[in-house]
Amino acid sequence: MIGRWRLRYWPLKAKLLFLTLFTSTLGIVLVCASLIVVENQNYRQRLESELHVIAGILAEQSAAALVFEDNNQLTSIISSLRRIETIRQACVFDATGSVMSSLNTLESADCPGILEPPPMGFVGDYYQLLVPVTLDNETVGHLYLVSHLRALRAHIQTFIVVVFGIGALIQLALVFVALKLQRVVSQPILALSGTAERIAQEHDYSIRAPVSGNDELGRLGTTFNEMIGTIEQQNRRILESRAGLELIVEDRTSQLSLANKELEAFSYSVSHDLRQPLRAIEGFGQALEEDCADQLNETGKDYLRRIRAASVRMGSLIDGLLVLSRVSRQPLENQRVNISGMLQEITEELKEISYSLPTDIRIQSGIWVIGDGRMLRIAFQNLLENAWKYSSKEVQRVIDVSATADSRFITIAICDNGVGFNMKYVNKLFVAFNRLHTPSEFGGTGIGLATVYRVIRRHSGDISAKSEVGNGASFYIKLPVLTDQH
Amino acid sequence: MPLYEDVFNEQQTARGYPLFLWKYLVALILCASLAPVHASVRSEYEIKAAFFYNFTRFVNWTHLPDNESPLRACVIGDNPFGDLLEPLNGRKSQGRKLEITGPDDVSADHGCHVLFVSVSEARNLSGIVGAAHEQKLLTISDIPNFIDRGGIIGYIKQGNVIRFEINLRVANTLGLTIDSRLLELASRVIR
Repeated sequence: MIGRWRLRYWPLKAKLLFLTLFTSTLGIVLVCASLIVVENQNYRQRLESELHVIAGILAEQSAAALVFEDNNQLTSIISSLRRIETIRQACVFDATGSVMSSLNTLESADCPGILEPPPMGFVGDYYQLLVPVTLDNETVGHLYLVSHLRALRAHIQTFIVVVFGIGALIQLALVFVALKLQRVVSQPILALSGTAERIAQEHDYSIRAPVSGNDELGRLGTTFNEMIGTIEQQNRRILESRAGLELIVEDRTSQLSLANKELEAFSYSVSHDLRQPLRAIEGFGQALEEDCADQLNETGKDYLRRIRAASVRMGSLIDGLLVLSRVSRQPLENQRVNISGMLQEITEELKEISYSLPTDIRIQSGIWVIGDGRMLRIAFQNLLENAWKYSSKEVQRVIDVSATADSRFITIAICDNGVGFNMKYVNKLFVAFNRLHTPSEFGGTGIGLATVYRVIRRHSGDISAKSEVGNGASFYIKLPVLTDQH
Repeated sequence: MPLYEDVFNEQQTARGYPLFLWKYLVALILCASLAPVHASVRSEYEIKAAFFYNFTRFVNWTHLPDNESPLRACVIGDNPFGDLLEPLNGRKSQGRKLEITGPDDVSADHGCHVLFVSVSEARNLSGIVGAAHEQKLLTISDIPNFIDRGGIIGYIKQGNVIRFEINLRVANTLGLTIDSRLLELASRVIR
C-alpha cells in the first residue's frame, strides 16, 4: 500500500523504467527458471539413459562370465566402471541371487539382497538400477548399479549460475535499451509539461509545445497547442477590450470632472448671485419693520418676522452651500495641525456664544494630524457645534474628544450626551439637506455633516457615527497618518 | 576360484612369515565358508556338463539352414557324464532344441553338431578329429592338449577350477563362429 502510494510520486522516467525493467526481470526470471527445470529433467533423462546403456552393455558382456562362473572375468568387466566417476556401487548376481562380484568406489556398502529388490530410479542422492543379465532370453543373473547424483547437482548448479549470469547480462543490456526507449514516451510528455510550466510561470501564451509523431502523445501536444492558441487569442481580445475600456473610462472621467467643475462653478455663482436678492429682501424687511411698524397690525408683523427669519435661514443655507462647494473645490494645503488646540478654541467660542447650562468638555491633549487647517477647522467646528446643539436640552452637557492611533490611521472620537439619533437613518446622516430633526426641535441647514464628510473624504479619511436615541452620539473620524505630502 | 590365486600371489609378495600365515589362515577359512556354495557341492562332471551346455550357447553354426532345427550333441566313447547330460536333453540353446545321443562310430554321418570325445577315445583322436572336421562338428573333450591336436574346445583343470581352451583357427576353418565373450573366458586361445 505504501509502495503503491510512493509510486505515484515517482517521476515519469523512473516509473517507465521501473515498469519496463520489472516486466523484463519477471520474464527473464521465468525463462531462467523454466530453462533450469527443463535442463534438470533433460539431464536426469540423459543420466538415466546413459546408465541404462552402460548397464545393458555390462549385462551383455558379463553373460558368458556368469554362466561359466568366471569371477575373474566378472571383476575385470565391472572394474571398467571405475573409470566412470559417478558409479558408486556395482553388483553382479547369479541366477540364484547370490553376489558373484561387486565394486565399491567410495565407501564400502553391501550389495542389497536381490530377492527383496531395493527401490529403483532416483532415490535421494542416488540413482539405482537393476537390470537382468539374459542369454537366449534366459535370465542368468542380475546387474545392480548405483550412481550418485553429484554430477547432476554440479551440472545444475553450473547451469543455474550460467543461466542467471546470462539473464543478468541481458537485463543489463535491457537497462540500456529501456533508458533509451523510455525517452520515446517520456520525452514528449516532459516537453509538454515543461512547456505548460513555462507558460504558467511566464504567462507567455505565444510558447508552443513541440509536437512529435502522430500517436496519442502527438495528438495531446497538438490539442495542447490549440488550447494555448485559443487562450492567447482570448487573452489578446481581453487586453484589447481592456485598453478600450480604459480609454472610455478616461474619456468619461474627463467628461465627468468637466461637468463637476461646471456644476461647482454653477453652484458657487448661483449661491453667490442668490445672496444679492436675499440681502435686498432682508434689508427691505428690516426697513419695513423699523419704519412702518405702526402701520402693520399684529398679523402683518408676524408675517414680516417670518419673512425675515426665512431669509436669514436662506442666507445660512447659501453660506453652507458656499462652504460645501469651497471644500470641494479648494486645493488642500497640508501641514501639521494641532487638533486639540483647535477644538479648545472652538469650544471657547461656543461657550462665549451660548453658555446656558453646566458644560463638561474633555479634550485629549496632543492630537496632531496632517491636513489642511482651514478645512479641518470647518469640519471640527461643525462636529462640535452639533454636539453642543444636540446636548443643549440635557441637565449637564458632556462632550468627550479622544484619539487612538495605529501605524496607518488616527481615529478621533467625539462623543456627546445629547439626544442622539436612530441608527436606522445613519446612511442619510452625511447626505446634504437630509435632517433627522425638525427645525422646531433643533435648528440647522442639513449641510453641516455633508461638509464634514466632504472634508474628511478629501483627506482620504473616513467618518462614521454611532448613536442610540436619547443616549448621545459618537462620531469617529479616521484620518491617515501622513507625512508632509499630498 | 579367484581366492586361490589371491593366496598364491600373496605368498610371493608377503614380506613376513607371520603375516603370510595369518592371511593364509583367513583365506582358508573364507574358502571353507564360500567355496562349498559355488563349487564343492557340484562334482567335476556336473560342472563340465553345465559348461558343455553353455558352450553350445556361444557357438554359431553358420552352415545350418535355419535357426530352429534341433542341435544334436553326441558323445563318443565311454560317457564320463553318466546321466548328467540327461537334464540337458530338450533344453534350448539359441532357440534350438538340444538332443543328446551317443554314436559308436564317428565316421558315419549321424547328423551330430556337437561331439564330446571321451578320454577313452584318446587313442583314436586323430581319426575322430579328421571325421569331425569333415562333418564340421564342434568338438569338445577333456583329453589333455585336445586343442593342439585339432580339437576345438578342451577342458582343463587349473588347481581345483575347471577352465577351458579354444582352438579358434580350427573353428573358423569349419565355419563355426565363437562368441568373443566365450573367447575372453578361455584360458588359452589358438588363433
